[in-house]
Amino acid sequence: MTTMRHWVGLAGLLCLALFAPAVAQESGPTQKDAQAATREEVEALRRAIEQLRAQVEILETRLAAQSATVPVPAQEPIPPPLAPPPAPPARSQGLLNPAISAVFQSIGMTSLQRRKESDGFDLSEAEVAFQSVVDPYSKFDLFLTFPAGATPDVEEGFVSTLALPGSLQVKGGRFKSAFGKWNTLHTHAFFTVDRPDALVSFLGDESLTNDGLSMSVLIPNPRDLYIDSITEVGTARPGPAFNGDRRNLTWLEHLNFFINTSPDSTFEIGLSASAGRTGATDLVRRQIDAAVTAGVLLPGAVIPDDQLSSRLYGVDLTYKWKPLQQNVYRSFVWQTEVLGSRRDVQTLASVLPPDLAPDRITSYGGYTYIEWQTAKRWRLGGRYDLSELPDDDRARTWATAGVVRFQPSEFQELRFEIKTTRRNNEAAFRFDNDRSDTQVFFEWIPVIGAHGAHKY
Amino acid sequence: MMTLRSIRLACRCALVAPVLGGALLAAPLLALLAADDAAAAGPARIRVVASLPNLGSIATAVGGDRIELTTIAIGTQDAHFVDPKPSYMVKLRGADLLLINGLDLEIGWIPPITQGARNSKILQGGPGYVDCSIGVRVIEIPSNLSRAEGDIHPYGNPHYLADPLSAEVVAGTIAEALKRVDPASAQIYEEGRKRFVMHLHEALFGRDLVDLVGGAKLSREAAAGTLDAFLDGTALGGAPLRSRLGGWLGRMQSVKGQPVITYHKDCSYFANRFGIRVIDYVEPKPGIQPSAKHLEELITRIKGGEARVILTRPYVEHRSTEALAERTGATVVTLPLEVGGAPEATDFFKLFDVVIDRVVAALAGPAPTGGR
Repeated sequence: MTTMRHWVGLAGLLCLALFAPAVAQESGPTQKDAQAATREEVEALRRAIEQLRAQVEILETRLAAQSATVPVPAQEPIPPPLAPPPAPPARSQGLLNPAISAVFQSIGMTSLQRRKESDGFDLSEAEVAFQSVVDPYSKFDLFLTFPAGATPDVEEGFVSTLALPGSLQVKGGRFKSAFGKWNTLHTHAFFTVDRPDALVSFLGDESLTNDGLSMSVLIPNPRDLYIDSITEVGTARPGPAFNGDRRNLTWLEHLNFFINTSPDSTFEIGLSASAGRTGATDLVRRQIDAAVTAGVLLPGAVIPDDQLSSRLYGVDLTYKWKPLQQNVYRSFVWQTEVLGSRRDVQTLASVLPPDLAPDRITSYGGYTYIEWQTAKRWRLGGRYDLSELPDDDRARTWATAGVVRFQPSEFQELRFEIKTTRRNNEAAFRFDNDRSDTQVFFEWIPVIGAHGAHKY
Repeated sequence: MMTLRSIRLACRCALVAPVLGGALLAAPLLALLAADDAAAAGPARIRVVASLPNLGSIATAVGGDRIELTTIAIGTQDAHFVDPKPSYMVKLRGADLLLINGLDLEIGWIPPITQGARNSKILQGGPGYVDCSIGVRVIEIPSNLSRAEGDIHPYGNPHYLADPLSAEVVAGTIAEALKRVDPASAQIYEEGRKRFVMHLHEALFGRDLVDLVGGAKLSREAAAGTLDAFLDGTALGGAPLRSRLGGWLGRMQSVKGQPVITYHKDCSYFANRFGIRVIDYVEPKPGIQPSAKHLEELITRIKGGEARVILTRPYVEHRSTEALAERTGATVVTLPLEVGGAPEATDFFKLFDVVIDRVVAALAGPAPTGGR
């Protein structure tokens, strides 16, 4: 064992003697630097090889892409994106078909004071719409209406130009006249279930609608405000204002000023005027019928004129507040319209001898509506109506209405409305001597299909 | 003999000649002056209207001073529900280009304002109508087109610019449209596009990696969904390329794979690009208000540890997300989707700086304390 230790110790000494000078030399500063430099060179070469490998891979990929797709210029450092578009969605399938939608309006109505024939639930109206661009120059909108218990009708059907110079837009066909704001709305787009009394009195149970032409011009102005002038000429569909005789043309001019009062609010002012011809009033027709029935007047002895002058005037004001960031959740609307009518009438001056005397009636009406959106789905509104009748300025009706609107989604709305109406004696005479009435409405409106966006 | 008539004629000529002569001389001078003025003013700028701020920001980067930009919606507004105000028709009346997001995102407001603008250039099919979704890799195209699924988009999820890489395609589309309406400045638009794309690559992948590999290669790998395999499978200096990944993707590495709940289905592109998992939505279906039952289900999932961060937007209601946070202790993060959606998000790049900062801070932050 001692001998073994001795040999190991001897070998250790020998190794120390042999390698000590070399170790001393390697640890010197010059040798160290040279080794470090060599290592760096090797590392740099390795990096260069890796970079070249990456570049080769890039070039290979680019070459493959070039052969697979549109050639990319060799000098192009940033080629256009090569991400291939996905399988195109079936856009072409519906491209040539018009947007088709259907809107149903189911109404429940009851009168609290006295039952009426109109009380009960009813499918008030169904509307089917077809809307599409015709060609690069025009679009076509067709709205068919299926009123409950009545024959289907074309509510609106018009072609509109898209590409006329000079900020012109021409519309032809059947369309709701641009008289004020509410008149242009379809019933499912109303704020309330029913139409304001003044609009019913002056424009009719349905809207004031023309078969004719409309020309709209955006008027240039230094402040780049939206000022739209709409001129219409056509035959009005029969209503309280105009008789719809095809020989008579009805004219309309509407000026609309739209102002952004702030990023969140807008104000609109509209001025409307319309002129045409109308016939005898209900009152004089009833008087003649009564005289004929009583035998004091021969049938046909008195024929009222059906070419009497009739004019309508209107002012509409709309203020909307919708905070841009929360416009889905909060909004406020105030809308007011005042209408005036001036029409020539004939009164039955005497029965014996039969005689009609000319007269002129000027009457007014209007409504104001406010609505507050409390949440995404909920809106509360209130409306006040005041209306005379175009053929009787002594008949006066007042009404107040409250409405709750609930929209589960964009495509469905439920409305609940309560409305109280008061009439003076002259107005009550036209409504079965009802001087006051309270009605409750319920309406459910679903929309299916691609229904075009409504105007602002 | 000079008659009275000839005297009158001579007088007239004497009077008229200088006037005519002066006019003839003045006309070219005036024309020259007018030409000088026109040259000083430079060629007319291209009037571009962008429906959304992100498109406007990309257009500015591509078109620079050659375009005069108007943007319709603002960054804090819900792009689905912009009101078609008539004043927008005035903005569109003189536009040379209209940039829209497409995929029916603006279906409720772009058709009425374009059709009322009386400008055939920017009508669908016109030379100035630019659908920026063309060429973008669209995801979530519904197989069942039914409104029972909520407010769905038939052509796919329209929020493609939540993936910054989509901006590369959009920049190309905008550059091509600008070249079409203003061929004389085509070189400027091409250079603008290249600059934007280079900046985008550096912001997304980091400058180091872009210098090493090239932005185009990285972009292609990312678009094909093979970026991770490429970064892990390619070594450089003994280390995989992933170690060189920087930019937004590099920053998101630490939170990759983490689960989140989003309010609306508008984070899908972002989640795909940056590798986070969307496990549920506050809306039970797109566009449908959350019900109490659905919120209870979310509370159960959050308390079960399935997610601890809720991503929402500035323009949606906050009551539901606040209730979720209060009941579970989850972190609610409001992310801008558009330029201008947060005060710091002043352009497309700063928008993603803000988004990445907020997402990383929320997902890398401390676990929720539990709520009540």
